[in-house]
Amino acid sequence: MAFDQSLIGKEFEATEPVTVSAEVIGEFCRALGEDSGRYGRPGPDGAVVAPPSFAVTFRNTDAFFQYTPRFGRGFDAGKEVEFIAPIRAGDRITLTSTVREMYEKTGRSGTMTFVILRSTLCNQRGETVAHVDHRFVHRNPGPGE
Amino acid sequence: MSAADGRHFATIEIGEALGPHEIVIGKARARAYAAVCGMGSGRFHDDEAARAEGLPGIIIPGNFSLGLLSKLVTDWLGAGPGRLKRIGTTYRAMVFPERRLLLQGFVTHLEPESRAVEIDVWIENEDNERLVIGTATAEFPPGD
Amino acid sequence: MGTILDLHSHSEASDDSRAPVAAYLNWIKLRRAERPIDGLVLTEHRQFNRHADYRVLEDKFGVLVLRASEVETDYGHMLVFGVNEAILARFDFTNVRLPAQEVIDEVARLGGAVVPCHPGRPTVGLCEHYESKPPLENVVAVELLNGGSRKGENERSAELVNRYGYRAIGGSDSHMVSLIGLCATRFEAEVRSIDELVRELKSGRYQPVDFRPHRPPPRRAEPLAAGNE
Repeated sequence: MAFDQSLIGKEFEATEPVTVSAEVIGEFCRALGEDSGRYGRPGPDGAVVAPPSFAVTFRNTDAFFQYTPRFGRGFDAGKEVEFIAPIRAGDRITLTSTVREMYEKTGRSGTMTFVILRSTLCNQRGETVAHVDHRFVHRNPGPGE
Repeated sequence: MSAADGRHFATIEIGEALGPHEIVIGKARARAYAAVCGMGSGRFHDDEAARAEGLPGIIIPGNFSLGLLSKLVTDWLGAGPGRLKRIGTTYRAMVFPERRLLLQGFVTHLEPESRAVEIDVWIENEDNERLVIGTATAEFPPGD
Repeated sequence: MGTILDLHSHSEASDDSRAPVAAYLNWIKLRRAERPIDGLVLTEHRQFNRHADYRVLEDKFGVLVLRASEVETDYGHMLVFGVNEAILARFDFTNVRLPAQEVIDEVARLGGAVVPCHPGRPTVGLCEHYESKPPLENVVAVELLNGGSRKGENERSAELVNRYGYRAIGGSDSHMVSLIGLCATRFEAEVRSIDELVRELKSGRYQPVDFRPHRPPPRRAEPLAAGNE
């Protein structure tokens, strides 16, 4: 396997808080095509709420990628996202990540190693707003690589 | 209840379809999405950089596909009491800009106790190949 | 009378599926008019679910549920039907490089049957392996129709079937509830157990069936929102 199994359970330090601005939420909505009016604009309480999928835009600590194979970060194979609370403009979001699982399987791209990294997003009040399980896939090196 | 109220648990049936919605994502929009998400990798911005990675050109980020499928569900839920609780996606093949995509889904299960609705969602291309597949769970408040 | 079974499906026990078995069975019942299948075979990735018991669900929905496995070999992926303790002791299903010829021969000796699946798929299908390796012996059948195949893959499988004279099965390769039963296998005999399935697979009295909806040619798409440049 291309990865060190001892990474399982390893916790990566929380990222620095990222402040969510109404402007970024607006840009995200425009790029996504989110024009329902329920997101990206002030609601009845004045809060600007991000669409649920905004939760996957926060980046893991770069420290995790130091453990990825030398030929690159691989590809995003999929995600499992649990949306717990809305993210609003003005929130300061931190991410803490843990390697949950690693396994090997074969597919169209050959033999691959899958790494599942669970990230927990919290806001400035210490409330969990989302869990994101990222599934990264790395193609294992062939003979001679 | 009117369409403007959004969906209510009591009126949802197993087998109900979401979409299909046809969409074409232009390169500019794909780049804009990657940029606002801080995804600086060349594969999302520059065709030459993408080709250097063995890709035919820039690709639409997986997160964008997840976002489109999340939007499929939230649009279907509308302004009612339901909310998107979770979504899981598997990226089976690259999604490219400037190609015809179809977003669709089906309600596959209703859980009356928890007022949860399970939904299959996917993105397919013009060859009816499923590029991204997933499931979503919507939940409604008690008594809805 | 005969039996129609989806011979290739994955429940939430497989790492890349979230489909509960009960939901599969309910969908089969709901869609019976378009996909008249009598049951399904759960072919979980790299494992065999020894302890699962679906009899209550079978009775509730009137649908047969059988258990099998999809394993990974040096000739691609293969479905193993009739998994028993002897087969599990002989092969570690988590090994992604099982020796295909040994798997085929030993599983047969120990009472089961192996069917290479999605043979037209790159890397994990027989077609590509046959380009550089000798063909396998004692192949019972191959999966001609796979519901998850991409453009051209089932066609390549058909060429393989024609070239080698293999018998052919069909399966949905479903990882989602709504895809169950899109492709299946029609058996001439009645199949009510895994032993009967293994017997019939060896008999050759079956053919793949395709319940996928035939779509009209794609029409010109209208942009849904401004900004699709």
